[in-house]
Amino acid sequence: MALSTDAYRALEDIVGPKYISQDPAVMDSYAYQWLAETVRPDQSKFMPRPEAALLPGSTREVQAIVKICNKYKVKFKAYSSGWYFYGAPFSEGVIQLDMRRLDRVLEIDEKNMFAVVEPYVNGGVLQAETMKRGLNCTVSGAGASSSTLVGATCYHGSGGTSIYTGELRENLLGAEWVMPNGQILRTGSLGSGCGWFCAEGPGPSMRGIVRGALGARGGLGVYTKCAVKLSAWPGPAEYPIEGTVPAYRSPMPPNFRAYTVAFKDWDSLFESYYRLYDNEICYYAHRQWTMLGANLGPAFWMLYQDPTKSLDDIEEFTRKREVKQLTKEMRYSYQLVLVGMSQRDIEYKEKVLEQILKETGGWKVKKWLETEMEQFSLLYLLRLGKKNLNFVYTGGWVGNYMQSGTPDFVKKYEPLAEETTGKFQATGLLVDCGADSMMGCVGSIAGGGQCGLEQFGFYDVADKKSTAAAIKWMKYCIKEEAKHNIPPGKEGMYLAVGKTHEELQRDLARQPAIHTWQRKIKQAFDPNNLGDRLYPTLDER
Amino acid sequence: MALEDYRDDCTDCSRCSYCKWIPLDHIKSARFARACPSIEYCGFQAYSLGGRLSVALSLLEGRIGYNDELKNIVWECQMDGACDVSDKICRYNIRGLEAMREMRFKLVEDGEALPQHKAYIDNLHEEQNMVMGPRANRGDWADGLDIKNLAEEKAGVVFHAGCRYSYDEELQKTARTAVTLLRDAGVDIGIMGEKESCCGGRAYQWGYRKELNACARRNARAWIRAGVKTVVTPCAECYYAFKRLYRETGFTLEVVHVTEYIDRLIKKGKIKLTRNVPLTVTYHDPCHLGRLGEPYVPWQGNKKKIYGQIPVWKPSRPRYTGAWGVYDAPRSVLSSIPGLTLAEMERIREYAWCCGAGGGVLEAYPDFAAWTAAERLAEASTTGAEAIVSACPWCERSFIDTVKVQDGKIKVYDVIDLVQMAL
Repeated sequence: MALSTDAYRALEDIVGPKYISQDPAVMDSYAYQWLAETVRPDQSKFMPRPEAALLPGSTREVQAIVKICNKYKVKFKAYSSGWYFYGAPFSEGVIQLDMRRLDRVLEIDEKNMFAVVEPYVNGGVLQAETMKRGLNCTVSGAGASSSTLVGATCYHGSGGTSIYTGELRENLLGAEWVMPNGQILRTGSLGSGCGWFCAEGPGPSMRGIVRGALGARGGLGVYTKCAVKLSAWPGPAEYPIEGTVPAYRSPMPPNFRAYTVAFKDWDSLFESYYRLYDNEICYYAHRQWTMLGANLGPAFWMLYQDPTKSLDDIEEFTRKREVKQLTKEMRYSYQLVLVGMSQRDIEYKEKVLEQILKETGGWKVKKWLETEMEQFSLLYLLRLGKKNLNFVYTGGWVGNYMQSGTPDFVKKYEPLAEETTGKFQATGLLVDCGADSMMGCVGSIAGGGQCGLEQFGFYDVADKKSTAAAIKWMKYCIKEEAKHNIPPGKEGMYLAVGKTHEELQRDLARQPAIHTWQRKIKQAFDPNNLGDRLYPTLDER
Repeated sequence: MALEDYRDDCTDCSRCSYCKWIPLDHIKSARFARACPSIEYCGFQAYSLGGRLSVALSLLEGRIGYNDELKNIVWECQMDGACDVSDKICRYNIRGLEAMREMRFKLVEDGEALPQHKAYIDNLHEEQNMVMGPRANRGDWADGLDIKNLAEEKAGVVFHAGCRYSYDEELQKTARTAVTLLRDAGVDIGIMGEKESCCGGRAYQWGYRKELNACARRNARAWIRAGVKTVVTPCAECYYAFKRLYRETGFTLEVVHVTEYIDRLIKKGKIKLTRNVPLTVTYHDPCHLGRLGEPYVPWQGNKKKIYGQIPVWKPSRPRYTGAWGVYDAPRSVLSSIPGLTLAEMERIREYAWCCGAGGGVLEAYPDFAAWTAAERLAEASTTGAEAIVSACPWCERSFIDTVKVQDGKIKVYDVIDLVQMAL
């Protein structure tokens, strides 16, 4: 439905003419999204074009916009950093709220260890500001360019340090939510005027309601501020950076250690996860380097260290004896950062790790102990400023499986993930980088106990056959998962974006009752149905 | 090349927003974390590298046509390349900056040039400069200097002042100092005087491809005739044109920025800096000397796929990531000055914030240029420096004008000015 002139004028009156546009080129810059090609007709890179884009500058403006949307029955969708097709309109007739003007770190409460942020504050910025105060935040696994608020309010926000700093959804404290009906709800202690310190009260505890099963991802109102819990940072006030673009490095503080640890097989690897949970020694624990494939990843990480080399040179690197050895050595591996709150503490943690490795038959991979590699690891893993290297091969990937659970549960789907991936890599339509291109948290929640593996499949976005293969692979994985009594992973969420209403209803009907409850919640908070299906609901029968 | 040749670069954009930030590893504060003046000033996604790639794709697919907003999207950008550096941290096979420039070429060649640029381009055609000056006055800046005129004599080194220094009376003293300094250090140097021509680099950045070729031919012919082996320039934009763009036309003379040349002479003991200069300064890396000033590497190759789907180039395509720009020579010269203290800003080297003057913004969107400069001056002021120093007259003009409007206290110098103080 086209935006009426009256509605446009009313919106323009709120933000001013500088901050609203309907120009087709501007609209297409919002419609363009990674993954659109997996769900749109003709593999278009464009999601539906928004009716208008607005840049609100305050909560008051957001509220006023939402009220106008209710008055004129206009659907709206907010995004912050804008990465992922989840941020785009899913249908015609939607206005896009680009939250980039709401970009302040409003408060860092050192004593109570929390920060209050607006939507456009990303993990890199918040970490830089908190480090100056001896604190750290969770940088979500999507990397330092992703919004902290979105991770906390609309999605999961787990990352490499989650085992110590918590998942962002765990870290959510008070929040300011412009509900789809245009009212503002301040959640947790904020709702009682007691400040930001607690998500559960005194005041309305809304964490589960506003997030739903998977995170509303822009489908249920707009979050304009939130507080997140912070953690201790006994490191430098800012990273001292060495090396040149792109493989920047940071010297290792004496109370820090960065390791790639490897094992002889999956069983030993997962067993070590349990021991890490029991001993609570990790600051960072994540399977990261294998995201580029167990066979090809090591060659990439080596060439990346040389600023004169590029992906064009990767074949040459795979032929190097050192790389062949490294590929073999780190076949079953993950990354760790240990941080001591004191010198004694780091010595203790080091000893515990040694004991765990001894008991599980693991080892520290030698190449990654070299000073420059160690420094590269440290900065990469803790800032996650180069995370989008997962796009480096082809510009496109989908991450299948990614079911979080105990290591024993994850171990159950790992062989299936390798089998289904290897089969599609063998067709030549996905990058053949090794059937294990699995990445994921060793501990996705604070303290560990839960982990996950996301199987990357790299497809060439410029190649329709390759893109089609990625879609086919996702569908195939879902079928195979069902055969093995494993629920669909992220591939189910990706494909859901392109499904018809009927197809979606059929899927939701098979799932737990939460989507019935979500319907009731949506009816209460979004009576005019102005959000989208990213807050999925099962129709009343 | 044509815009169609960049289609894959457009579809490859993962919409990750790295292009809007300095390399994320380098973020030290919320205040100075941004890299791209265009999106910070203009706001909408279309005004970022990622946005422009999607707009280019939209153009290629016929989803949009030409209008005034599209022209703003294409030209309200300094083409400073900070986005490209950040993008290439992870996506170094995307040619983002090149694709943005190709969009400008396409619009110009389709008769959709930006009207604000017309007078400047006309002046380039008629008077061979980009600052609306008369050709006859081009050599006036060197009046009274005892320096060879290479239109009539020969020398191994030509000093190319560039349009800004040639016509900007407030800045000309810097060019005079530089050429005198080199001559006094024993360099066989001369100037082209009235016969000096614009490098063509600015026009090229604005979308005028043919103009660059004409300037390159004219300059190369004149220099070769004068026996020149080395081209020295105090202008970062000219440096970029000679070092990178001319090379693509087969130009082979050595190209050196004046700070590099002075650094060499200091190290050889031919320039001695003895006088105390008790100043705290901060250094602004000009985009065209720094991240864009990497040497050109000749290359031709073909795309193929390896490991099933990884598109690569064979032979390997050279990387322009900002790693090999000129960052150290100006700093080395500054460190040679007795009593001088260098206080660095947060955004330096390959991830420096732009001065605002490039890409035709100064001429077409002066408010945006001034805002960009003001952002840089605000950053400079946090270092406690008494002066901001650069190595490009365009940056200096931008800062001087903004300081004047702000009634600010910070002084603006070129590296050469400080060298002169230390002689």
